[in-house]
Amino acid sequence: MSSFLARRLLFALALVVVVSSSALLLARLAPGDVTAELGPFAGAAEIAGTRARFDLDRNPASQWVVWMARAARFEFGDSFLYNRPVRGLVLRAAANTAVLALAALALATLVGIPLGIVAGSRQGTGAAVIRAASLVCLSVPPLLTSLLLVFVAATTRWFPLGGMTSVAAVGPSGPAWLADVAVHLPLPVLALALPIAATFERLQAQAITDALRQPFALAAVARGLSARDVVLRHAWRVSLRPLCGVYGLAVGALLSGSFVVEFVTAWPGLGRLTYEALRARDIYLVAGCAAMGGVFLALGSLVGDLLLLAADPRLREAARARSGERQTA
Amino acid sequence: MRRAGQGLLALVVLGAAAAPWLAPNPPDRTFPAALYAPPTPVRLRHAGLRAPFIYPQRVVSALERRFEEDATRPVPLQWFRDGRLVTVPDAGGGPLLLLGADSLGRDTFSRLLYGARTSLVLAAASTLLALLVGALIGGIAGYAGGVADETLSRLTDFVLVLPAMYVALALRAVMPLVLPPATVFALLTAIFALLGWPVVARGVRAIVASEREREYVVAGRALGATPSRLLARYLLPAAGGYLAVQATLLLPAFILAEATLSYVGLGFPATVPTWGTMLQEAANVSLLGGAPWVLAPAAAIFVVVLAVNLVVQGTGRAPVQLEP
Amino acid sequence: MSPARGGQIVASIRAEPRSFNRLVARDQSTDLLTFLTQGRLVRINRASFDLEPWLAERWESSADGRVHTLHLRPGVTWSDGMPFTSADVLFSVQAVFDRRAQSVLASSLAAGGQPIRAAAPDAQTVVITFPVPSGPGLRLLDQLPILPKHKLQGALAAGTFASAWNAATPPAEIVGTGPFVVREYQPGQRVVLDRNPRYWRRAPDGAALPYLDRIVLEIVPEQNAELLRLQSGGTDLSSSELRPEDYAPVKQAEEQGRLRLVELGVGPDADAFWFCLKPEVKGKDPRFVFVQRPEFRAAISHAVDREAFAHTVFLGAAVPVWGPVTPGNTQWFWPDVPRYAYDEARARDLLAGLGLEDRDHNGVVEDARGTEARFTVITQRGIGWYERGTAVLRESLARVGIAIDVAPLEFGAMIQRMLACDYDAMYYRPVFTDLDPAGNLDFWLTSGSAHVWNLEQRVPATEWERRIDTLMLEQAATIDPERRHEQFNLVQRIAGENLPVLYFAAPRLYYGHSVRLRGVVPSVLRPPVLWNADSLSVAPGE
Repeated sequence: MSSFLARRLLFALALVVVVSSSALLLARLAPGDVTAELGPFAGAAEIAGTRARFDLDRNPASQWVVWMARAARFEFGDSFLYNRPVRGLVLRAAANTAVLALAALALATLVGIPLGIVAGSRQGTGAAVIRAASLVCLSVPPLLTSLLLVFVAATTRWFPLGGMTSVAAVGPSGPAWLADVAVHLPLPVLALALPIAATFERLQAQAITDALRQPFALAAVARGLSARDVVLRHAWRVSLRPLCGVYGLAVGALLSGSFVVEFVTAWPGLGRLTYEALRARDIYLVAGCAAMGGVFLALGSLVGDLLLLAADPRLREAARARSGERQTA
Repeated sequence: MRRAGQGLLALVVLGAAAAPWLAPNPPDRTFPAALYAPPTPVRLRHAGLRAPFIYPQRVVSALERRFEEDATRPVPLQWFRDGRLVTVPDAGGGPLLLLGADSLGRDTFSRLLYGARTSLVLAAASTLLALLVGALIGGIAGYAGGVADETLSRLTDFVLVLPAMYVALALRAVMPLVLPPATVFALLTAIFALLGWPVVARGVRAIVASEREREYVVAGRALGATPSRLLARYLLPAAGGYLAVQATLLLPAFILAEATLSYVGLGFPATVPTWGTMLQEAANVSLLGGAPWVLAPAAAIFVVVLAVNLVVQGTGRAPVQLEP
Repeated sequence: MSPARGGQIVASIRAEPRSFNRLVARDQSTDLLTFLTQGRLVRINRASFDLEPWLAERWESSADGRVHTLHLRPGVTWSDGMPFTSADVLFSVQAVFDRRAQSVLASSLAAGGQPIRAAAPDAQTVVITFPVPSGPGLRLLDQLPILPKHKLQGALAAGTFASAWNAATPPAEIVGTGPFVVREYQPGQRVVLDRNPRYWRRAPDGAALPYLDRIVLEIVPEQNAELLRLQSGGTDLSSSELRPEDYAPVKQAEEQGRLRLVELGVGPDADAFWFCLKPEVKGKDPRFVFVQRPEFRAAISHAVDREAFAHTVFLGAAVPVWGPVTPGNTQWFWPDVPRYAYDEARARDLLAGLGLEDRDHNGVVEDARGTEARFTVITQRGIGWYERGTAVLRESLARVGIAIDVAPLEFGAMIQRMLACDYDAMYYRPVFTDLDPAGNLDFWLTSGSAHVWNLEQRVPATEWERRIDTLMLEQAATIDPERRHEQFNLVQRIAGENLPVLYFAAPRLYYGHSVRLRGVVPSVLRPPVLWNADSLSVAPGE
């Protein structure tokens, strides 16, 4: 198990390096650089100074070397847009996005899975309504979901239109602050969670239906167990496996931040930061955001794999056997 | 349900195919007096029942978006004229704007029909290419195993996490400033295929890897069948069901992705109507209360995705939304 | 009834301030924060464009206009209680011209290419000396916020001035002489400003200013979301004027009594269309033979119906213009600038005079050697009126046989191409830094960095550009206002005859704010309302 983890972590590290390096190089090679932000008619000295500050006067390869050397010491350079070290900016944005992502994941799980169990194990109007609602949620483009929610919030004033805290909030800690953040969560969380909840619901419904067709379920019914017990005790556990893989993907995607949702609801998260960095060609911020995104994606797929291992004893055996093989070889 | 989905899809495809005949106006024709015009209502009553007609619309203030109907002068719709199903000539009180007009005074309904052609064909072509590449790479990895499998699988993982936006930006950088629509089409197809194939490859690899140990494949190998023949005749067909489901997932994702990519400058020129570029105008939500018809392209995308999901649903597979 | 004291307003800004120090950053948010937290020696009133005493209460100028003796307002203190003296003024001027500080204000505070000098005979007096006579004179000082020496001299000496006042700086360190002080900065979310109790200015009735207790600047990155917040009452003000397409919803909200719609006036900048005319780059291009002829550009000017242009591009909220100085710049607008009536036949005649005719009947004119008049126009992506402007141009020019393809680009990529002259033509609204022409020498002079059609020439490429160079340098060094107007009108005539840049319409600007806001004096310059923040108040009881 530990060697499995070690290999996965090593792969994750490689992934982060490759993703952030390619982001750095691609951002460098794309047309225009950060000096455009100085305005169309900035002086030559100012432009040269800015280029030097962000190593844009070096060739891309030597810039990459300089950046890697610094990154190895966890120094990721400065952001032009924010005039600050990238590290702090990215960490704070990632934390904000994590709050959003975890809330959305919790909501999607709590809504999607029970509804999926109901829709998958029953027939009738209720199941049909759930299925129809899921299909609608799956079919609306995310940009539209968030804009529509903002519009609803604007007309009804049920919840704040955006942002993470309100003006009156004091200091980033304490229960009052948490309550304030909680008030601002519904809008972006709904926009993020609806399609994922729908995905979970559909997958769960499908998996339960499949599981109920299997011999063990039929045998359980024959033994006289109540339908409820068959579904919850037996079928559900078996049906979890297909969900696990998707769960990992969802974790990764949510944590790396949805640019659309964060932009429209003014949430100060990683997706928005990445977009702003890209737009301004703020090169080290771009690389820093990509690195963080890579960490989260790797984390997501790790979570998915671990869930899969937990849900399926056979795979656990296989993993153990494989790592054993490697060690002896 | 599946029927409904197929019906909807057929309707959309028919509409796209017959666009030049169905559209009341050319898609890139601008009507300067109709900026942000509301839909022209088609009426039946004017001093008693009569054939469908409209009242001519006049702009009172473009800035305030106020329009006035001349309710004294009914203008009948003209059927089967100039190769169009129905239209109203400008001289005689037109244009007929069934879904209103956009910020340049172009007919939204006509653009929607023409846009369906580009958007749907692009999505379909990209899906096919992604399936082809994914099946090939996944198939080879699954069949060969060993080092080849390891290399191809890692490559798949890498492409899966490659930040799509950067790739698009870098690709755009090496292209000339103005691209003819055909080049944009090819470029977008290539990018979508590049983004889409890894998911396909992963699944195909798993299926082929388990399938190759089955008796019939082992027997085939013993009888001297070449690997390519085995792959083509037996192994890939085994993944057919999986590929069909993937197709229905990629298609809607690519329709939406076209809108996303035009943000980074990889879209079609403004003269080519597509659903993606039309959707950008719908992003002005403050219009929503007063002008809900700006959401028409979003509704069109919704209908197609819903139809595809209904079809998948009918086959008993669970649909999944992919991030574009 | 005098305005009520107290209350807070919420304004939205689209991006975070890059710094709290205007000397090292020129973005819109930094500029706004400087208006709110800092003072200057003299101020240009954003509504009347008149020069007003500010931290300097009066001054005397020498006859040649080079030496100005300013007397500082007595009793002014920084927001931390330290007295404000002439040493702070000397420090600020020194910081602008310190090489290591890389100040963005250095070039605009120079006259004749040399820095201005400051001296302090005593703590309440400052003598500003211009190296050469200067037409704008003291008006230049409106751009210079006076910074606290006691807080920043360490950073300047250590060479860390550029990053001294950033987001990580404790708000208590950011002191000023402005009406408000920074209370809290939550990156990515908002800047909260409190009333500066030590603010020096009083209302005409003697009431202490500012009236408001607090201003909150909410960061809302998306313009549609910004407008929605304004409409729903979440904010009182937005960062910029309304887009033409936003007029209708705000007008509707006004009719329902939820918002107030104000007309700011005609904007001081117009949309511009120009060709890159750099002979070093374009000389070998066969199209340059006719593009460089003023008659070619005159044909384009005749081909565009400016009334229809204003109607389509700005939904009618615009006035036709023929030069860079719009009626919005009341002081320098000259109505007699050469005009080109909408006349397609005349346009075709002018093209024919250059040998441009549609020989192969494909709808595009070509010269005798078969070179087609077909161009790619670059513009900024994602801005509605640029899209509409280029679309109207494409249709107008197609009617006289000139074909253009439009390439909307990301801002950075567009600027890169512009600087390298790697484009045929461009459609964009370059914003003048100053209403006074002498503040825009970078646009008018051939050596200028904003001489958009042929940047930074060593020697003037044409005779008429040389004449503009001479006239503008004279104009900048002339003190007599009437003489300056004569010189500048002549410059406008020469530019209007040679048409290096074509102008079609200047937008009429509108702004929306909440109904409870009082004391609004709208300005066509940014910030449209908050420039006057110390006199804003909210209706009592709300």
